[in-house]
Amino acid sequence: MTSYAEIQVTSNFTFLNGASHPHELVETATSLNYHAIAITDHNSLAGVVRAHTAAHQKNIKILVGARLNFVDYPSLLCLPTNRKAYGRLATLLTTGSRRAIKGQCKLYYSDLIKNSADQILVALPPTIIDHSFLEHLKKLSGNSHGNCYLAASYNYDGNDNHKISQLAEFSYLSDVPLVASNNAYYHLPERRRLQDILTCIRERCPIKQAGFKLQANAERYLKSPDEMARLFSSYPEAIIHTIEIANRCCFSLDELEHCYPKETLTDDTPAFDRLAQLAIKGAQCRYPSGIPIKLRKQLNHELSLIKQLDYAPYFLTVHEIVQFAKSHNIYCQGRGSAANSSVCYFLGITAVDPSQIDLLFERFISSARNEPPDIDIDFEHDRREEVIQHVYAKYGRDRVGMTATVTCYRARSAIREVGKALGISSDIVNILSKTGWGSSRRAITTDDALESGLNPHDKKLNLVLKLAEELIGFPKHLSQHVGGMVITQDKLSEIVPITNAAMENRTVIEWDKDDIDALGILKVDILGLGILTCLHKSIGLIKLHYGKKINLSKIPKDDSKVYKMLCQADTIGVFQVESRAQMSMLPRLKPQEFYDLVIQVAIVRPGPIQGDMVHPYLRRRDGQEEVTYPSEELYQVLGKTLGVPLFQEQAMRIAVVGAGFTAAEADALRRAMATFRKTGLIHKFRTKMIHGMCARGYTNSFAERCFEQIEGFGEYGFPESHAASFALLAYISAWIKYHYPAVFGASLLNSQPMGFYAPSQIVKDLQNHGIEIRAPDVNYSLWDSTLEKTTCENNTANENTNSLALRLGFRQIKNLKKTDAERLLTMRKSGYKNIYELWTRTGLSKVSLKTLAKADTFNSLRMDRRTALWSVSALNAPPTPLFPDSPNNLGLHVDSGQTYLPNSQPGEEVTADYETLRLSLKHHPMSLLRNKLPMTDLLENRLLAQMPPNHQVKVAGLVLVRQRPSTAKGVLFVTVEDDTGIANIILWPSVFEKYRRVILNAKLIGVIGKVQRENEVVHIVASHLTDLTDKLAALANPLSS
Amino acid sequence: MLISKAKDTNYLTAVCADAQALGVQTNMALADARALVPEIDVAEDNSATAAKALSKLANLFTRFTPWVAIHGTNNLYLDISGCSDLFGGELNLINRLHSELHKLICPHLIAHISVADTAGAAWAISHFADHDRIPPGENKKYLSSLPLAALRLDEEMLKNLQLLGLNQIGDLFKIPRKSLAQRFEQRLLSRLDQALGVEPEPISPRQSVPISFVQKKFQTPITSVQILAQVTHELLVRLCELLKKKNHAIRCATLNIFSTNSRSQQVKIETSRKICDPDPLAILFKEHLQHIRFNLDDGEGVEAVKLESTLTEHSYSTQDSLDFKDTFHTSTQADNEHALYDLLDRLTNRLTKSAVVRFTPHQSHVPERAVRFPASNITNPNMSWDIYQPRPLCLFNPAIRVEAVAMTPDKPPILFRWKNQTHRIIRASGPERISGEWWKNDTWTRDYYQVENRNGARFWLYREGMYQDTESPKWWLHGLFA
Repeated sequence: MTSYAEIQVTSNFTFLNGASHPHELVETATSLNYHAIAITDHNSLAGVVRAHTAAHQKNIKILVGARLNFVDYPSLLCLPTNRKAYGRLATLLTTGSRRAIKGQCKLYYSDLIKNSADQILVALPPTIIDHSFLEHLKKLSGNSHGNCYLAASYNYDGNDNHKISQLAEFSYLSDVPLVASNNAYYHLPERRRLQDILTCIRERCPIKQAGFKLQANAERYLKSPDEMARLFSSYPEAIIHTIEIANRCCFSLDELEHCYPKETLTDDTPAFDRLAQLAIKGAQCRYPSGIPIKLRKQLNHELSLIKQLDYAPYFLTVHEIVQFAKSHNIYCQGRGSAANSSVCYFLGITAVDPSQIDLLFERFISSARNEPPDIDIDFEHDRREEVIQHVYAKYGRDRVGMTATVTCYRARSAIREVGKALGISSDIVNILSKTGWGSSRRAITTDDALESGLNPHDKKLNLVLKLAEELIGFPKHLSQHVGGMVITQDKLSEIVPITNAAMENRTVIEWDKDDIDALGILKVDILGLGILTCLHKSIGLIKLHYGKKINLSKIPKDDSKVYKMLCQADTIGVFQVESRAQMSMLPRLKPQEFYDLVIQVAIVRPGPIQGDMVHPYLRRRDGQEEVTYPSEELYQVLGKTLGVPLFQEQAMRIAVVGAGFTAAEADALRRAMATFRKTGLIHKFRTKMIHGMCARGYTNSFAERCFEQIEGFGEYGFPESHAASFALLAYISAWIKYHYPAVFGASLLNSQPMGFYAPSQIVKDLQNHGIEIRAPDVNYSLWDSTLEKTTCENNTANENTNSLALRLGFRQIKNLKKTDAERLLTMRKSGYKNIYELWTRTGLSKVSLKTLAKADTFNSLRMDRRTALWSVSALNAPPTPLFPDSPNNLGLHVDSGQTYLPNSQPGEEVTADYETLRLSLKHHPMSLLRNKLPMTDLLENRLLAQMPPNHQVKVAGLVLVRQRPSTAKGVLFVTVEDDTGIANIILWPSVFEKYRRVILNAKLIGVIGKVQRENEVVHIVASHLTDLTDKLAALANPLSS
Repeated sequence: MLISKAKDTNYLTAVCADAQALGVQTNMALADARALVPEIDVAEDNSATAAKALSKLANLFTRFTPWVAIHGTNNLYLDISGCSDLFGGELNLINRLHSELHKLICPHLIAHISVADTAGAAWAISHFADHDRIPPGENKKYLSSLPLAALRLDEEMLKNLQLLGLNQIGDLFKIPRKSLAQRFEQRLLSRLDQALGVEPEPISPRQSVPISFVQKKFQTPITSVQILAQVTHELLVRLCELLKKKNHAIRCATLNIFSTNSRSQQVKIETSRKICDPDPLAILFKEHLQHIRFNLDDGEGVEAVKLESTLTEHSYSTQDSLDFKDTFHTSTQADNEHALYDLLDRLTNRLTKSAVVRFTPHQSHVPERAVRFPASNITNPNMSWDIYQPRPLCLFNPAIRVEAVAMTPDKPPILFRWKNQTHRIIRASGPERISGEWWKNDTWTRDYYQVENRNGARFWLYREGMYQDTESPKWWLHGLFA
């Protein structure tokens, strides 16, 4: 049995070159009994961590390295022999990447010389081997002090023997030992087809024209050591040298050590002491009257664990970032499992009072788990960049990097690229890619093809589908993670190469979240959350209009009127509970106190839904089912949720309490379910848990049911701490919505895009709450929507909140540039008297003025849309400010067109409103169309609630949302709006397939179906759909009706 | 029934009534339409063909008036001032046109024909109104209720007018001209005026494509091919002179031979370069004329001949070189090139186009696909054969099956038998491994070897398949090196 190590392997992290995943390469190398396998992606280390993880507990060594492609020198392999050399390689790649644009790397030979100590360099022969290559080789040998080799491989191009003997001669002449390699690009020869496809994608040509860009054969796979020995039988030393190299490379990624920055320490106090001080100080602030005993114990437990694992600097770093945000008046709140930690609460990172929920610190940090904690913090979404730039500025670009995200081929993009390469016409590719719902990872199958009217037996089509399936999951390029930042004490560029991002002022490391998790590198997630922006704006508006200063943490959590509003599902704009699924759950769950809201947030999740926990919980809550507990110890765990597990923590505790798992084991169980579904690990836990529970006297069936429930949580359940953090924001936003509806509406509009609803629905909701909405106007509007005092004060119905009207801002106007709006505002002063004056003062372009006119914003100048547009069209000559009253100019606004322009019809107005504002304050299209539709006996949506179940109804309206949640087994939910309200339509898969085209394309739709009710929630189960979009178009044109 | 056009995606450009009833519309992507109605028939929308048909139609209509003009892709203007009475009045003329179209051209053709004082007004009612005639002087009355699109305006202008609530032509009449002029481009008022007849819109008749031809009639019918060839030469001289005046040169020409028994024969020639020199052209014709036979017993002879240039190209007088010393050399080179082309023309004219081909390289790893044979007149002298590996001068296609003995797994053969002869191999190189083009369903892998026998003859052998495969591999002889 020959011993062999492959030193030249290109994985698919050399994008569009390598045709195998790193783990496939490692697995094949292991099964072939390789001594070691190198991962040498081109100018990149992006794939090495995956290979490293795949090799875990396998009898194979990974050689971390890269193939360096130079601007001014032939390519070579660089394999670091120790940690220092690895740091130099990472630095080298950082240098090259930072001087090039995103995704590229510019390296010079001189860069290598600076960083070549302790690196093994393997020269790669060019296609044509001539004397100049010998010169290069001699130069390299002179520079690298005996760490240099010359690679030789059999290419099967008919010339191998001659070429390799020539290389052997060069090796002798330059004193550079020869080393064997097969220059692998894929793990199995069958991958040649995919590699050809990748070549076509890279070269942007169909395969028929790819010609010599393709490889002639399929030899670039991992060959068995014996086969390699046979090929190199005349040069046995070349095989021995592969082992020599492998043995000299002693570096493993496990050696990477992550140190948190020390800037957070102001004096000589050690990090842990400083953290303890801060935590206790914070605790005293939160509980001025003394810390409860339970919390004090918890705090001590956490601190000791933090000390043991040495995470204090991490907490201090996060604390520093939060302090920065607070000092700059940026709202922020921690989310996720961090809320399990009382330390985070006392440091002001999270906002959930730990005395109110069960903390399971092990969910956050576990001593057994060799993984760092993950603190995710939400910031106001439009000010997040300030925080990110602060981190860059404070620690420097060589110590900070955003985490990368590996963008992979999904079903749609895969079919598109493969189809293009194999020369399938783009309309067929379009059809195919549309069959996938969203960008799923599920491959498009022949069934899908049949469904969309294509011949499933077509050979070429089948080939496309098969290759597309293989391509799914292949990395396409690196982009930046939403907010994960890695910060280090030493140079980050010595741990991982840093590259430029497409976005200005951002630098990104080459590894993604899973990679740095696997290596134990800590990151902070700096995320953006729209509701925080909205809340901040709300507080500002309340202060402005009511003179009240609201402290978010002091808002009482027991306002029964707020809960009443929530029970009525009046929650448009309220954080987390505004989606349709949440809205239909609210009247059933009827939250009465804060904890109910925590449950509400957590229950409408795929985990509880798939684990079938929703209905038992609701039945128990309604008193329809007896609340029982299998044992007293489980009462401790499940008491709060009436015996039904709803949170991740509960699932873990069942394992601890019921089956005798340690806390760390329970967390390992959760992770096993979440991330490694495919591995056999889960089975081990299953046996252990069921045995453990049986041993403690539970029935076997109960134990199995428990396990199945836990399974559902893995990926899709919320931890209680996270649900509590979100419930807090949900309550606060509901509180503001109830007490200051106009303020809340304005803030929502000003924080767009965010949340679930478009401006038109937010405005509609405000109108339903009796708030006057005023159209945008050149003399009154600001960029943001604002609140104005209404003149009639006799409206005393609902405190004083209704005395404010909402004025829509210029931001609602489509195509209006912010700079133009600002110009209009700065020049406005005491207001514009006529359109001509506005024009001369602001100097806005005719296009911008037309945009304003089309949006009907000249009402205060006594001009409707048409007359304004008419006047604007006449503004031809540039304004002459010298003679503002010259008769020529004055004449313009005399002819306002009012006398001869036809009066506009409501339908035209509504259409124009929708075109410019995406909403209309004048009419709902349905109110104009109701009698013109080909459907008779249409029911108004507001009357739906009075219909008996199973009654057949007909409704029509605008399609607002289409949703097909993964939990709903192919059921499609559609929300349809008419002038009186909304209707919730349910389409079973069979109906959806029948009306696929109608439902996916229609803007205005007619529905026939049966009423279905559950408590106060009304749905229509559709049986027939009609596309009425052409009627909508006809509104715009009075001639066609 | 449908017509589609390719612009990366296939869109429908025209849809028949039956398909419209099924929900298929113009501007739909073909794939979407297929999903709706899988069994639709599709033909490519060839704008050149359509334009040709329209101009043919225009030619036909010159029998009613000499002033026929083509407008856009599917409109014809006929200026019938003073002609209508010849056909019994305007309405009768319209009926006549309809029936001509149906009977003579295509019974399925749908045409809207209308008469008005101006081209603009006639266009408007033909597209947007039910009636087909506006009585003289009543344009304003008839047009005012029509939509603005009837004024032949572009989409953007229509959109702007619609926003102002201006939908009908009549809406414009209410507005002072000055206000309109201030706000809209000249186009709007000009189109309005053209429709009303305030601004003239003359119809310019189509230019007929000038076809150059020369002909000769004979008092006594000629019966000798030699004389016919001579006459052809004379005609060529005249035709070339004619074309030279217009700076044109011939690519295609047709000789029509009219016989006494009212039979006519055609001889067509094509050239690969533009020629305006009678001699080489005459040679091309002569090749064909040799095959013409007359039935002398019936007294058949040629009464007249007509020579037409069916395809011409602009010829520019070229200056070969400024360098006088080199003039001799370059002119020889050019002459050589011309001689080659003339030879190619003669071969093509004699043997048909597909018989004369040339080798061009094609990028493919599969040896037998690495060469293509386009027709000879595709002339591209600047092509290079960028093949890195040695390829034999003579390639057998298909390859020849041979028996060979070789060491496993991939050593070159030691000997092989071909044509009852055993070749012992003394030198060999390889293997060069080539795998088939999988997207064409090739699943094979071949190992190629260049081998030399004792006599110094060199062969190109390949083995299909591997020795470790279940099916035992076969050996083939694919080519001979010099």
